[in-house]
Amino acid sequence: MKDFKKLTDEQLVKLVRNKDQELYQEIVIRYQEKLLRYALNLIQDRSKAEDAVQESFIKAFINLNGFNIKMRFSSWIYRIVHNQVMNEFNKNKKELPLLDNIDFDSGRNLEVDLTKKEIHEKVNKCISKISIMYSEPLTLYYIEEKSYEEISDILRLPVGTVGTRINRAKVIMKKICQNIK
Amino acid sequence: MSKHKIDITKNVMSKIKTEQIKMKPKWYFLFGSLFIFLALISLIIVSIFLISLITFSLKSHGPMGAIRYQQIISNFPWWAPIIVIIGLVTGIFLLKKYDFSYKKNFLFIIVIFISAVLFSGVLIDILGFDNLWIKRGPMRKFYQQYNGDYKQEWNNNIINNGRGRRNFQ
Repeated sequence: MKDFKKLTDEQLVKLVRNKDQELYQEIVIRYQEKLLRYALNLIQDRSKAEDAVQESFIKAFINLNGFNIKMRFSSWIYRIVHNQVMNEFNKNKKELPLLDNIDFDSGRNLEVDLTKKEIHEKVNKCISKISIMYSEPLTLYYIEEKSYEEISDILRLPVGTVGTRINRAKVIMKKICQNIK
Repeated sequence: MSKHKIDITKNVMSKIKTEQIKMKPKWYFLFGSLFIFLALISLIIVSIFLISLITFSLKSHGPMGAIRYQQIISNFPWWAPIIVIIGLVTGIFLLKKYDFSYKKNFLFIIVIFISAVLFSGVLIDILGFDNLWIKRGPMRKFYQQYNGDYKQEWNNNIINNGRGRRNFQ
């Protein structure tokens, strides 16, 4: 099993598809924590987040032959979790977090005040108060440490929109966090 | 974060080992892609002919706008645009449903598709392929059906001579 740890996700997928399906365990282990944290930030309910992640792994396995090996597996699996969480929202018609349709002025120089580390802490603290539209790209960028390109792939948004949403999220979050304090 | 209520790894792997879940075979995805591709190609061909037919019909029915309009309405194959709409909606639904992996700009695809169809239809009209196709080729009868002048002449020939094709050029 040790050798498999050196393989990239895509190489591992190839082996799972063609040789040994039990190697899928390695993929699950690699992504379980990350995906759970991501789902939890979106869904704010541990058991639902766990269900969503488990269901995502099952769907990913079933459709593994449909995955294009030339693409990033990471974006693919995050996309599946995103879809699963959105289905959960639609199913329950649960109220989305606050400020869904509120637009604030673009954050001129505000991001200068916030270092990445500070934002990281604030994200954890305030994330549940922000609309999912803004919280999701923010989570992916600061917590999951995805690039704009990857977020664009996962959320199916243009890279420019991802940047705009992240900037707005920072402004919104700053306002909310200040109010909370 | 490490303590889970459910053991995801164990649950997922036990479903795989007991074959409660199975990977969809490669041919499923190949077939899916092929089917959608063929459906789109067919849709493009049908749509191009439809556009070509409309422009051809407009040209061939003389200058009277109201009559031309009535003829187009009465002869128009309404099933075709319905199939186009159903095809587009189903195709996009399937693509989204089964290929949930990669970013696709569906608005862009639709705009390009419609533009390509309109452009091709008008191009056929400008290059005169419709006039060629009314005389020969597999689409001959299809175009003849929508050519008012031809129909009238054909009917006159039948009444006068008892045979249609002989005097028609």
